Amino acid sequence: MNSTFLSLESHPDRLTVKVSGCWIFDKVSALEEAIASVLPAEGQAVTFQCAGLEEIDIAGAWVLYDRTQLLNSHGFKSEFAGFKAAHFKFLQNIIDAAAIREYEEPTAQTGRPKRAKMAIEKLGKNTAGVVEDLGAIARSILEGVYRPSLFMIGETIKQVYHTGVQAIPVVVVITFLIGIVTVHQAAGQLGKFGASVLVVDLVSISITREMGVLLAAIMVAGRSGSAFAAALGVMKLNEEVDAMRVLGLNPNQMLVIPRILGLVIALPMLTIFADAAGIAGGALIAVGSMGISGLQFVERVAYSTDLTDFYVGLSKAPVFALLIAMIGTLRGMQVKSSAEELGLKTTMAVVQSIFMIIAADALFATLFTRMGI
Amino acid sequence: METIISVRNLVNRFGKQVVHDGLCLDIQRDEILGVVGGSGSGKSVLMRSILGLQKPTSGTITVMGQKIEYHKPGPSRCWGVLFQGGALLSGLTVQENVELPMALYSDMQVETRHELASLKLLMTGLSLSTADKYPSELSGGMRKRVALARALALEPKILFLDEPTAGLDPIAATEFDQLISYLHDNLDLTIMMITHDVDSLFGVSDRIAVLVDGGVVTGTMDEILDSDHPWIQSYFGVPRAIRARQAGRK
Repeated sequence: MNSTFLSLESHPDRLTVKVSGCWIFDKVSALEEAIASVLPAEGQAVTFQCAGLEEIDIAGAWVLYDRTQLLNSHGFKSEFAGFKAAHFKFLQNIIDAAAIREYEEPTAQTGRPKRAKMAIEKLGKNTAGVVEDLGAIARSILEGVYRPSLFMIGETIKQVYHTGVQAIPVVVVITFLIGIVTVHQAAGQLGKFGASVLVVDLVSISITREMGVLLAAIMVAGRSGSAFAAALGVMKLNEEVDAMRVLGLNPNQMLVIPRILGLVIALPMLTIFADAAGIAGGALIAVGSMGISGLQFVERVAYSTDLTDFYVGLSKAPVFALLIAMIGTLRGMQVKSSAEELGLKTTMAVVQSIFMIIAADALFATLFTRMGI
Repeated sequence: METIISVRNLVNRFGKQVVHDGLCLDIQRDEILGVVGGSGSGKSVLMRSILGLQKPTSGTITVMGQKIEYHKPGPSRCWGVLFQGGALLSGLTVQENVELPMALYSDMQVETRHELASLKLLMTGLSLSTADKYPSELSGGMRKRVALARALALEPKILFLDEPTAGLDPIAATEFDQLISYLHDNLDLTIMMITHDVDSLFGVSDRIAVLVDGGVVTGTMDEILDSDHPWIQSYFGVPRAIRARQAGRK
């Protein structure tokens, strides 16, 4: 067998392998193929004749060395001749070092039961961690109640601006569009009963009680929940949070509470905008293409919807805000080590806050129905 | 002597601030070039320009005969880079970090790749028990070693080191210097090393390049020490540099 890399000469007691060409990293797969043909017969010793080698690097030397190890382990003697480069000695040193190290450190086996145990332990630890974090936040809030000077007013206002004021355009546009969609959908169905005018009731009640606050909250969860998690996560990675701690500052006080408070202020305000935009969207279609006059629309809204409906929707906003801000900041603070983790926690923050918003909304709906509101 | 890296008339300007003003530098095959300079003298900018990570205002750079262009794939098979903070990919384990370039550039079998990666880790003085750890679980010194193993993954001809001993304790820094010398002696490596550590500068480098006044002064240690440029005088005149010089002479 001959190839670019080696040629074999078989003698009764000796197999001479003439190594030639470039034994380098780029050719490793071809080298592995070539070296696999070095199969000495019983009683043959193997000599690697390396004088024809043009170039060799660590990867190439490794292929060569690996084969000799395999041959030795099967009881064949192997030796090298005519080696020019210093690489092989270098490699030998490393392998010797490896042999010692590997002997020192047997790798631990992780079986299935252990893994299950670890998963349960992790779940428990995570739960305990969340409870601890929530406790720390609650304590910081209490401290703030006793010493109002601790509240970062400026930071809170900044958060209201970022999470509330800057979100107005997108929330307004979205609820406006949903108002349009609702009226379009309802007009077809209610028209069949000759009760087209009831679309006004439908749109104003559903927007004020449910859709306005829900859409605003989901939008904010996507915008600000992720922003909270990412911002705090990067601060954790940059050791900014640690720096605050050693300066004697409470990161909860500095970072978490302004965000929670800011959002609790911002979301109800956004909800008012959302409600108004939703009804305006409904009005556009009702007046524009259904022949309901503007005055009729306003009268109908006033007749069907009262302040209770508005307050029902509005009362949910602070709760949703609390959920979004708590989950976002908590997830951000959980980032410990890597950029990957940061992405993961940010995703978790958004998904979990939207999930919690909808779950809480369902709870509210049941509650309000039971209470007859 | 064969010139491996050639920088010609490099100009780097940021707004009004001129960092390099017609800088010319040749790096020879198999040498270790230590690069020093004050803060803001453009050491990192020079390295980033050579690596094609920074668009120079003007000038040409060739590495192994290939012209470097901004954000175009350079001769990445031929060079390995050790970034200052290690720049390990935080989502991958140590082993995976070293294997990544191998997987990208070779169709070798997975087992071979594993073994070669382990070998690189051992070469840089790491034990195999670190292989499954994530970069965040390692100390600064170990992270640098892993980064060096990754830089060596593709058997590069040129190694760029950005402050390899910064942030290491004196023992780890000395070990790292020895490691670099050892690798240089055993592999055909050309090394460009940015450093503020006068010990490693004197202990390791063959030639020194000092970035001053937008240009560069190169020479052997003695030539540099004979220079009458005021900044070079004061840089090598501080007590720690004098001590390092004496230690390096021994």
